[in-house]
Amino acid sequence: MKSAAASEPVLIGQPSDAELGDQLLAPVWTRLPRGFYIIMAIAGLLSLLLLALVTWTIWTGIGLWGNDIPVAWAFAIINFVWWIGIGHAGTFISAILLLLEQRWRTSINRFAEAMTLFAVVQAGMFPVLHLGRPWFLYWLFPYPAVMKVWPNFKSALPWDAAAVTTYATVSLLFWYLGLVPDLAALRDRAPGRVRRIVYGVFALGWRGSARHFQRYRIAYGLLAGLATPLVISVHSIVSADFAITQLPGWHSTIFPPYFVAGAIFSGFAMVLTLMIPVRKLYGVGNVVTMRHVENVCKMTLATGWVVIYSYACEFYLAWYGGETSEMYTMFHGWTTGPNAWVFWLSIACNMLVPQLFWSKRVRNNQWLVWVMSLAINVGMWSERFSIIVLSLQRDYLPSSWHGYRPTMVDWGILAGTIGLFTFLFMVFLRFVPFIPVQDMKELAAELRGSRASGTADDRKESA
Amino acid sequence: MPHIHRPPIHWRSLGLSGEPDEAVDEAEFPEGADRAPLAVSRRQFGKLLGASIALATGQGCTGRTPEQILPYVHQPPTVTAGVPTTYATSMMLDGYATGLLVESHEGRPTKVEGNPEHPASLGAAGVFEQAHVLGLYDPDRARRPRRDGAEVGWRQVLDRLSAPRADHGAGLRLLLEPTSSPLVHALVTQARRRMPEMKVAFHAACDRGAPIEGARLAYGRLLAPQPDLRQAQVIVSLDADLLGTMPFRLRHARHFAARRRQGGRLYVVEAMMSVTGTMADNRLQRRSRDLPRLAAALALALGALPAELVTACARVAQGADGADETWARAVADDLRGRPPGTTLIIAGERQPAALHALAYALNERLGNVADMGSPLGFTAPAIPGPRDDGAQQTLAALAGDLRAGRVDTLVTIGGNPVYDAPVDLDFAALVRHVPDTLYAGLYENETARASRWFLPLSHGLESWGDGRAYDGTVSLQQPLIRPLYSSRSPSELLAALGGVRQPDGLTLLRASFPAGVDWEDALSRGFVDGTAEPPAQVHLTPAAVAQAMGALGPPAEGSTALEIGFYLSPTVHDGRFANNAWLQELPTPVGKLTWDNAALLAPRTAQQLGVSDGDRVQVTVAGRSVSAPALVIPGHAAGSVSLWLGYGRHGAERLAEGVGVSAYHLRTSAAPWFSDGQAVKIAGRHELAVTQRHWTMHGRPIALAATREVWRRDPKVAEAHRGVQPSFFGPPQRTPALRLADPSAGPQWAMAIDTSVCIGCNACMVACQAENNVLVVGKAGVLVSREMHWLRIDTYFQGTPEAPTVVHQPMLCQHCEHAPCEYVCPVNATVHSPDGLNEMVYNRCVGTRFCSNNCPYKVRRFNWFDWSERQAANQGVVRMQRNPAVTVRERGVMEKCSYCVQRIRRAEITAREQQREIARDEVVTACQQACPTGAIVFGSLNDEASRVAALRRDPRSYEVLHELGTRPRTTYLLRLDHPNPEVT
Repeated sequence: MKSAAASEPVLIGQPSDAELGDQLLAPVWTRLPRGFYIIMAIAGLLSLLLLALVTWTIWTGIGLWGNDIPVAWAFAIINFVWWIGIGHAGTFISAILLLLEQRWRTSINRFAEAMTLFAVVQAGMFPVLHLGRPWFLYWLFPYPAVMKVWPNFKSALPWDAAAVTTYATVSLLFWYLGLVPDLAALRDRAPGRVRRIVYGVFALGWRGSARHFQRYRIAYGLLAGLATPLVISVHSIVSADFAITQLPGWHSTIFPPYFVAGAIFSGFAMVLTLMIPVRKLYGVGNVVTMRHVENVCKMTLATGWVVIYSYACEFYLAWYGGETSEMYTMFHGWTTGPNAWVFWLSIACNMLVPQLFWSKRVRNNQWLVWVMSLAINVGMWSERFSIIVLSLQRDYLPSSWHGYRPTMVDWGILAGTIGLFTFLFMVFLRFVPFIPVQDMKELAAELRGSRASGTADDRKESA
Repeated sequence: MPHIHRPPIHWRSLGLSGEPDEAVDEAEFPEGADRAPLAVSRRQFGKLLGASIALATGQGCTGRTPEQILPYVHQPPTVTAGVPTTYATSMMLDGYATGLLVESHEGRPTKVEGNPEHPASLGAAGVFEQAHVLGLYDPDRARRPRRDGAEVGWRQVLDRLSAPRADHGAGLRLLLEPTSSPLVHALVTQARRRMPEMKVAFHAACDRGAPIEGARLAYGRLLAPQPDLRQAQVIVSLDADLLGTMPFRLRHARHFAARRRQGGRLYVVEAMMSVTGTMADNRLQRRSRDLPRLAAALALALGALPAELVTACARVAQGADGADETWARAVADDLRGRPPGTTLIIAGERQPAALHALAYALNERLGNVADMGSPLGFTAPAIPGPRDDGAQQTLAALAGDLRAGRVDTLVTIGGNPVYDAPVDLDFAALVRHVPDTLYAGLYENETARASRWFLPLSHGLESWGDGRAYDGTVSLQQPLIRPLYSSRSPSELLAALGGVRQPDGLTLLRASFPAGVDWEDALSRGFVDGTAEPPAQVHLTPAAVAQAMGALGPPAEGSTALEIGFYLSPTVHDGRFANNAWLQELPTPVGKLTWDNAALLAPRTAQQLGVSDGDRVQVTVAGRSVSAPALVIPGHAAGSVSLWLGYGRHGAERLAEGVGVSAYHLRTSAAPWFSDGQAVKIAGRHELAVTQRHWTMHGRPIALAATREVWRRDPKVAEAHRGVQPSFFGPPQRTPALRLADPSAGPQWAMAIDTSVCIGCNACMVACQAENNVLVVGKAGVLVSREMHWLRIDTYFQGTPEAPTVVHQPMLCQHCEHAPCEYVCPVNATVHSPDGLNEMVYNRCVGTRFCSNNCPYKVRRFNWFDWSERQAANQGVVRMQRNPAVTVRERGVMEKCSYCVQRIRRAEITAREQQREIARDEVVTACQQACPTGAIVFGSLNDEASRVAALRRDPRSYEVLHELGTRPRTTYLLRLDHPNPEVT
């Protein structure tokens, strides 16, 4: 990488294994500042709000939301697509960058994966919750029913159910497998008996033997291989929920790649949102360096351009197709119809904001990057709102057109998932090392090795 | 027990043999006195259900504890469990009878249809008739008599009514609704025999006197005009809502459609766009007060009129502008160009009698008035005309008596005068001033609250009575169920007034029934054949017409003032249906407004006032004002604000409470239908629950319309809008489509809707709601577009907002052969049946709503909540109305039009039992059955000779959104208008 030459290294200093171990395991033992617990408490309260609202919704019916006919899908599906999209960057970092042997991924892959996992938890809630009769969710799965009724495989929703459950399973396994050596390290260093037992149980008897490492490597590689196509397939399938319909604004073959790009785009933004405060809070700037921040910014910029290209395609194809209703939906419904400001918000956040990442000065200004990452998250949520709500608002028969207004329950559930996500993420920060210790030691060893062999490029990476 | 036999469909009431004997014991212990006055409990429901049958057959089970509902231990011979029985009865509205057939499930009336033999129905049933059955089960109906708020027994009430009076009734006044009922008139006469000094007044909010009074001007006596739309090639409606609110509207609609199919022409001049106005080939927007001017201009243009009439018309026509004259000339040319006796000019009831007289004179001029079989005949009115003599007085005279203190007892039966009497009479205060007042009504409404005594009236479906159709045909009203509450019928109360201590509706009716007429036959048919009034011989007195027209005079100076018009609501009528949830939630034919009324105005007027939809407008007439939200209506006359009557109720009716504002606050005896006034924008907004917010088609070919001229030039206009689009992948292959070629595959159901004759009257919507247990969602639900109607009527405007043309397009599930909803359902809850139905499997639905998103017609309805539990309007005793053949949908499932699959299956079962095929056009959907114009046709495509197959072959046939390749089974026929090019 050309620009890498001018950037910070992926690891600052030449820490020994013991130093690395002490530094990276410390967050699990040390007392954290009060602010941490206050934020965690707020997130916890939001999670309780989520619980209450979900209970109320299941008890009463989704009429509590703002959905109507024609806008039969709204916040639930927006949130679903948004959260699952966010998850994609985690998998991208941990699986695809692993296979591509990108060293800079090492220090951020653990919490990117955790982000994936917790985002999938939020996302997974919505397909259940948005059902009119959520207690029959299992009908979406092919199970040996007495009545011999199968799901309708022509519909994208059973694929969706399969894709999301697969994704959740693989993400969990991948994340947990990577965690095993560090759990063993925690077990070995835990001050109390209880913690030793708990970590010991989760460490699954890891002793760090060469055989363990050999099998671990194989399993980790296999899971990375499994997870890689999921990055592409899951969001492609999610996009099929829209693309297989004939609704103007949804009926588009560009959707699968467009959605995948959007997902990774929003996921990288979320990585930035989480990474910047965490490296500040824990003082791990030597391990998660500005090089990481910059690289993620660049990835965001790159995927952002794919998204821009997709927008252009979408509008161009609507125009080129010449279908009256579709042209109206895209060129009038989205741009000037009810809630059109959300569309313009998504354009501003997704097309304009990332362009600042061209500037190295911006990329190196952590707080600006952080604010921008929030804007991109908002923008990507708005993009899903535009696709789903703005299209449904204006379909074929003007007689049935109607606007959409979310209720407080809609907002509450969205806020609740953000709260639960934050809460789970902070629990994760508190109880397991969020930077893979064992992998970092390996990276440090590799860097030492390459210094010895004198590769110029590598020397720079660890200078 | 009376003799029982079973004619094919109609039959006598179950109530026949159940002689009510409760008058004896309930004086001490009124029925239900031990229970809280809440909605009918399950227990009570069961008891009523069982009791009405059990008593009818004389086999009531005794000794059972009230905890048990009563099953059929001994099956009554007339009833087969699960097979509905149909009875003939009539509904009285505005004093006129409409013949109905009412479906009853084990003694529980559930569905109203029109009586095909009855002249006022011809088989159709409009919105009020359809909603009649819900009114029966209204939980807010009054349940027991009260005096000064305290419950009393009926014996006290009847004693009070039948008490002899020393003054021969001089201080007694009887206030009734105008009625055609021979029984009521006989009972009033009987009461007067006992109390000769008593006076009777008739009052209804919709005064139907003008046409009759017009006949008195023109012909010297009170006569009712009898237009026959079949005979009229050209109809000129001067503010006459023939198809919407006038008596005989269902018959008129049927005949209008028959004529329109052959290419008739309808001119309408009106202010607010009425149902009739939407069907006009040429519609002219004029304020109501401009109508005489326009009619006079038409008279002058027609020419060949008596000289005195010409002089009078010339005076009235002074203010006519160029547009008026162009219109008058063109219409006159059109009328003159037709053979004599083939046109019709008809004035609306809102217009003064003089205008009616002029219209009659013009019809005479055009040779339209002759014997039966001509466009306009006259008969003696079915409702005796107004009189002001010793026996009868007007409401104003009654008010005068009340004010002068000449009245000690006022007995009001039916109506709601405190609410709807002209505001200048200040009737509420007058009623309170009377020493003793008795009011009998269905509800404890405004009048009940102003009266000392309140007596619950029985509903039309639970009491005996009679009435006459507009043409005079005597129609019988027989009960389908015993009274749900402790109530009496109007005739029973009148009989009590006449001194009968134990009045009984059936005995009274039989006593007044003419001898020599077969009672059983009349009951089973619902009316007495041959009792229509004979046509009257008439001779025009032009001088009187001229004098009356002259009295109208030229338009007053300063006619730039805003006109405030009052209209009967197309949904709640004069307010009597304000508590009917189906009607409140029914979108108005124009405006598509539910649960509200509004100040309706033209786009230009709205601009002048600076208001848009929902802005509050203060409407003032003669110093009295109300504030109503504005609603802009394309095609409304400029310079005019229209208000629907019937809202702003403050009685015991809970659903009606707080809905809209009462236009009666502005309505005076001098100007009951329109008057000068002001309207100004005031602060505040009001959310209007409008179901269709977009009036234009945005240039899309959705509801097609063409003029006959265009059609003649290019009869293939519709061709491009039907059939499957050529596809790269070849024609779609699908089982039902393949079956089509195979006649052995059984029926392939399809529907065709002729938008040329769809008048947008909404009858189909209410019929569907009643048949398919479609629940009500309330204003809040409609505001967020969650209404549940399986069938809606999309009304599109084309042309300018000032003078648009209209197309009504009933929109329901299209039962696409290539249904977009089916492939996206993850659980196969919506699937295709072999006979071509797009079926909804409620039990399988998990509620993803994916189907709705992919439905290009947006006809699917979702149960966002458990509406039946959440909405008060769906609860309690109204559940007795539910059709047992149709599931009441649970929350979280999708629903939509099923093509009345229960009717299809019932026909199949019947056919199989009788070992035959389903006959051609045997299956009739609820919407089709209700439709007064026959615009909806249902049947099998596999039968080449079926009507639906023929309509699909019609060159006017098209498919909505055919370009999507959905191959809908519901097709439409393009609307053909026949405008006069000279006018536009």
